Amino acid sequence: MTEFKLSLTGVHARNEATIQATQDWERGRIDSKGLNAAFREDVDSLVALQKDVGADYISDGQITVAWQDFLTPFTSGFAGVKKGAMVRWYETNTFYQTPVVDGEISSSGQVIWRRIERRLTKGGRFRIALPDPLTFSELAEDSHYGNAERLLFAFAEAMNKELRTLGEKGVEYVQFSSPALVARSRRKPLTRDRLKQLGEAIRTSTRGTSVRTGFHTLFGDASPYIPQLFDDIPTDDIGFDFTQTDPDSLAGTRKGIIAGVADARSTYLESVDELRGKVERVLERTGSRSITLAPSSDLRYVPRVCADDKLRRLGALRKALGGR
Amino acid sequence: MNLSRSFPTQEIGSLPKFSWRTKPFRQMRLEDADLVSAKVWGDKLQVPARDELLKLLSKRAGFTEEERLAIVDFSLLYAIRMGETAGSGLALRQGLDLVWSGEQARTEMYETPVSNIGGFEFIGRVRSFDNKYWRMASIRSPPAYRNNYHVDELLFTQKHTRRKVKVPVTDAITIMAWSDNHYYTSKWAKEKVSPLERSFNARREFTLDLARIIRKVIRELIARGADEVQIDIPAATQYQSREDIGLVAEAFNETTKGLAATFSVHSCFPPRVGYGMLFPEILEMKKCERFSFEYGNRDGYGRGVSDEARPGFADLKLFREYGYQKGLGVGVIHIHTDRLPSVDVVADRVLYSAKVTELDPRLLYVNPDCGLRTRRPEVAQSMLDLVVAGAEKARGDLSSA
Repeated sequence: MTEFKLSLTGVHARNEATIQATQDWERGRIDSKGLNAAFREDVDSLVALQKDVGADYISDGQITVAWQDFLTPFTSGFAGVKKGAMVRWYETNTFYQTPVVDGEISSSGQVIWRRIERRLTKGGRFRIALPDPLTFSELAEDSHYGNAERLLFAFAEAMNKELRTLGEKGVEYVQFSSPALVARSRRKPLTRDRLKQLGEAIRTSTRGTSVRTGFHTLFGDASPYIPQLFDDIPTDDIGFDFTQTDPDSLAGTRKGIIAGVADARSTYLESVDELRGKVERVLERTGSRSITLAPSSDLRYVPRVCADDKLRRLGALRKALGGR
Repeated sequence: MNLSRSFPTQEIGSLPKFSWRTKPFRQMRLEDADLVSAKVWGDKLQVPARDELLKLLSKRAGFTEEERLAIVDFSLLYAIRMGETAGSGLALRQGLDLVWSGEQARTEMYETPVSNIGGFEFIGRVRSFDNKYWRMASIRSPPAYRNNYHVDELLFTQKHTRRKVKVPVTDAITIMAWSDNHYYTSKWAKEKVSPLERSFNARREFTLDLARIIRKVIRELIARGADEVQIDIPAATQYQSREDIGLVAEAFNETTKGLAATFSVHSCFPPRVGYGMLFPEILEMKKCERFSFEYGNRDGYGRGVSDEARPGFADLKLFREYGYQKGLGVGVIHIHTDRLPSVDVVADRVLYSAKVTELDPRLLYVNPDCGLRTRRPEVAQSMLDLVVAGAEKARGDLSSA
């Protein structure tokens, strides 16, 4: 019996009212209170939608200015890390400020906790997406450690403090988003040794915590890492962007699968049958007992109405699949 | 084009829009400060017939369509004068060698073409970074040529400057990459090919259909006197597979096929791996005479012409490694901050670029990293001043070396 779940997988699109509020705030037409009210309403509407479509986890969408880019909490909250040049975020028209590591990385353990909608963690089922240690270390400009492995584990240690806090405060699920593993431009896939090293870094990040975890590969083809990904990455679930990875390349596993079946970077709305076809191939290849239906990546790359439509369609898919 | 002196100067395309240019289109009433801005900048830039603008703006609200178009024309004049007088803020009287009218007639570089090419529907705003968004359009049927969306601004610009004009045109890759590829994604959705092949084919077909339309736009611009055309490809580094980079070159070649002009290419803000990802495929852009890339963004603010002092310009070595002999435009000013480098640092950036590329300095253009539309007018003007002054100092240093 396979259990089908439903979840968002990262940063969501802001709605038009919030977009307008951010612009009004920048031009001094509203104050911070007005801006925060807009964010709050936006988050509430997203939470309502997730509940409505039967999502198993609840995300706050990571839409506030605390997440101006996916690395902002670390470039603004971790000691030893500061903001550098603005650089393109993988295969998107979005940008981030390079983390410049110029000292020992350390964390108060409160950096992420302070940047999420804490009120939502009280009901349980709260889920958050964070960069995996490989993505952070590959995107960082390091003038302190001078060694990729040391940087990887320094970040992993700081993340451990964060995850411990999140677990204690009731966050139920942490997804490590790992575009760096699969979106490698022309660089070769990681060697098996480096993949194992990444697995150790993830283990370091999650040590002593109670949160459920996933490792989502997005913006690239994960097939070069099959089946070792299932063995080497110590998370409960492994995720795939099926606009990039062929479901037929998967292999049997006892792990859960985050099935990124809905194309998060196009408004083309797949039919339930089309999505179901992909899920059935995933199930056939992996035999997994837990499949989380999800968009292929964050849904911030399309306008909000389209992002919400994608989520609704995944809800319809879940209904169609039942709890087989 | 080979200008006769070392380190010619240019801007990349857009300049900021004054509040008196934007408010009438947002149905907002002009305030005293808007009129003062028009007066002060008009005097400073010595814009011809600026009194007519001030008289027009004194209406403050309720502008007719004809009046709004007249305001746009004045904003083009102001932008042309910003280019022509660049350097004056640092007591230099040179101006830029290549000028444009600051894209004042355009909504912006993406929205204008997709508003004028058939097949697109606007679907909402998407966040690019921080609180910056673009209005995304979705392609719902094959793109179709409707009208030439740049010819009027070209003719106006040519008429109002005696300097060399460079017209920037947004390329097919960028329009594809910033749009929702609905039509081609759905067309390819059920094809029995791998997911990677499916998405690439959808991108390629969309891009090449667009390239043929853009070629038609440029052909007419050339017929109306344009001889310097900058193909803007900020999205050149968005899709990163070997096939996608090949497509960047293929789209450029398709766009410029059968056309005779001096073509340059601008791109900016690549991923962390840098511009190396574009090589060697971009060298297949046969008609490209100059690549203008952004480097200032990643550079330090200290002086020096060593590798250590100029980390932002390291990628320039690629051109030498590949034996590149044509022109380059080096972005020497980071455009997403108000922080300005000193003239000395700009000159060092120029001299370092000359050193590592080993190009004839007449082929090495100096420019800001990218268009200046996100900056306030006074900051944009200071940046253009620095381009002119930095190039001038580099010329002096080079000749006295």
